[in-house]
Amino acid sequence: MRSIREKLLLNPPPGSRIAAARDYGIDLTLLVENLRLTPAQRIKNNDAAVNDLLKFEEAMSRAKRSPVK
Amino acid sequence: MIHLFEAVQLLAKSKVEFVIIGGVALRSHGSAYLTQDLDICYSRSRVNLERIVQALQPLKPRPRGFPDDLPFIWDSSTLQNGTNFTFKTTLCDLDLLGEVPGVGTYEDALRNSIMIDFDGYPVRVLSIEALIIAKETAGRQKDIPGLNELYALRDSLSDEE
Repeated sequence: MRSIREKLLLNPPPGSRIAAARDYGIDLTLLVENLRLTPAQRIKNNDAAVNDLLKFEEAMSRAKRSPVK
Repeated sequence: MIHLFEAVQLLAKSKVEFVIIGGVALRSHGSAYLTQDLDICYSRSRVNLERIVQALQPLKPRPRGFPDDLPFIWDSSTLQNGTNFTFKTTLCDLDLLGEVPGVGTYEDALRNSIMIDFDGYPVRVLSIEALIIAKETAGRQKDIPGLNELYALRDSLSDEE
């Protein structure tokens, strides 16, 4: 069952700051997903996501240095 | 690799008096913002400076951008002689702020914080309202997406309570 908070984020009232954030380009479904986690889990997920990005960045720069033929 | 969660737990375990601000605070409140560093507002008391020194010593802190071949002394006098610091450590980049623009000192940040459980460690995190004030005060373009998230998170919460 959805909380009032989730309902507001998924269907923001017209003219609200929540609707303005959506119109600005904020993906409110990502906020809903994060709010379902504990704060600790949100930080652990941040660590994992950033580390994946760093690995990807490293692989990209390795590939640029020695491209596969 | 970054280990923000571990860094927060280490500070809490070491009884450092601090309030999480910045990206980790945003993320703690539910933001989708990804961050690579830990920003904290810390108490400038002598006891707390000693705790910070002891806690971070194993992480080999050095000022970011500081030449590797220059010696750097990590002790409480170093912290006493400044207010805001940007360090790199073995766990993550770590910014220590004695004051938060728009909010004030550690004591002000503490009054405007909420307690969050980090897997058994209670940690103070700047409130959504205070984060909004800090980011509005900073007036940086890069904070606008985060501010929009904070407005949405705040307004969804205030309607529920």
